[in-house]
Amino acid sequence: MEIRVRCGCGESSCPEWAVVELQGVVQPQASFAGDIRGLHIGRLCSAPSPSATSKAGYTFTVGYHELAGTKVTLKKPLLVLRKKKVGGGGVGDQEPPAEVELEVIGIIRHKILFKDRPKALISKPATKEKKTVQPAEN
Amino acid sequence: MDAEMEVAGTQPEIDWDGGGGGADAVLGLAPAGASVSLCYHQAFGPHSDIVLLEAGDDLLPDLLQGRVTVRGRPDEEAVLCTPSATYSMKFVGTSNSVFLIPPGEPSASCLRPDHTKGDANAADAVAAAIKLAPGSIELVRTAPRLDKLRSLLRERPYVLDEDLGDGFQHKKGLYTWQDLCNCIQASDGELLDGLNTLSAVEIDGFWRTVDANSVNTILDVILHNSVLHDWPLNAMPETDVLSVMESDGFVHKIVSHCLNRFGKKVEQEARSFWSLDEKLVCLQFARKVLGAGKMKLANFMDKWERSIPSGMHADLQMLEGEVLFEKLGAETWVHAFSVADLPLTPADRFAALFRERVKWEWKDLQPYIRDLRVPGVSSEGLLIKYTRRTQPSSEAEPIFTAR
Repeated sequence: MEIRVRCGCGESSCPEWAVVELQGVVQPQASFAGDIRGLHIGRLCSAPSPSATSKAGYTFTVGYHELAGTKVTLKKPLLVLRKKKVGGGGVGDQEPPAEVELEVIGIIRHKILFKDRPKALISKPATKEKKTVQPAEN
Repeated sequence: MDAEMEVAGTQPEIDWDGGGGGADAVLGLAPAGASVSLCYHQAFGPHSDIVLLEAGDDLLPDLLQGRVTVRGRPDEEAVLCTPSATYSMKFVGTSNSVFLIPPGEPSASCLRPDHTKGDANAADAVAAAIKLAPGSIELVRTAPRLDKLRSLLRERPYVLDEDLGDGFQHKKGLYTWQDLCNCIQASDGELLDGLNTLSAVEIDGFWRTVDANSVNTILDVILHNSVLHDWPLNAMPETDVLSVMESDGFVHKIVSHCLNRFGKKVEQEARSFWSLDEKLVCLQFARKVLGAGKMKLANFMDKWERSIPSGMHADLQMLEGEVLFEKLGAETWVHAFSVADLPLTPADRFAALFRERVKWEWKDLQPYIRDLRVPGVSSEGLLIKYTRRTQPSSEAEPIFTAR
């Protein structure tokens, strides 16, 4: 079968997505019982740069952990594709099978990557979010 | 990773319009002190219909202008095809948490841990992650998978006068261009090259190979007519050839196909002429002679020379990659062994070659592997990978055997 890859946006106007990447896992505190949709995760700040030439730094504060990271330009951009079923799919054998289409809905050229060990902000009160760290990935 | 995934999974997925992430707030975060709050999007979830595809800058134009398709049966490993190249698709996972933040206007609020909706006066920008990406798909340039093409087209080769027989009505074993695109994992350009290599022709919308006996018949009649009508074999007038052949009962399309297969078109003074290629024609006669099986070399040469058109000369060089010679006692024997019948993938090709003959000298082996193309691998590389090279002494020819 053949799945066409469509792009409604064309070369110059593909919407750019943002990516924040960290090593490890973010979890709501065990006492949180609600739906996480809409829940605040953390605060992303651009760090004041010590000099004009140093790489733009960022901090990401989740609960009482502060992560330090940088903006990285991807060597190869990533395209965000969405799978869609088109047509068909009705009941019974006579219906042709639903066709699948892929649509380009965005492009990712940069990511903000946090790969250093988090710093514990012990003076801040504990909040509902906490961070657990996984073994480092390359 | 999955506490939040579990939570999201048990709630019904909210319809998502593709936006609401506020990506610009993150991308455009001004240096030195600006900040944005990152939240889970209102429609956060697994969204398994969203995938990330790594795309080098050379592929972006094709991808963004709709010139790319993914081809393959559900049981095959998918490939991505641009108009001229084929790429294998490999999913590469990550154990990092990769938050994807879509574009669009973010919702103004997100639930803070203490259940307030954020500072009323904070000019805080908000960004929302729609999903955690488990990884992305990488593309690796790969050789087109054309072996299947040959077996499909051999199901039902075109035979002269096939429409006069019974049982022609069924369409089994017949493939249109679109059918081939659906089954063969190759780009359009490589598929067309594959069809040309097989000397396939499109008849009534179906791509067909032409049965060997039919080809021989048509070639014989063309040559017979060229004697009858005094057409020089290097300058046969196209309109005359086609009309004479038509009155002999041969359709234009098939005649043109044969002319193209064994010759070249030449334009002269606004007229088209066909020039037959000596090597291709002689080769076809050699195949016909060897159709019955292996022969003693002297016997073969005699029959071959007598069968070719007058004016043409038979030369063993023409048979490179088409026949093999072997010494049995004092005699040399020859039999047909055509590279065109061998598999296209290197592993299968070398297996077939070593099944035919355990040891190969380079001069015999070379015609049977020079058409192998694997992106990123040289022919030396293929030899190293699939053969063992031995050299009995420094003056002797190197010998290749299976690894």
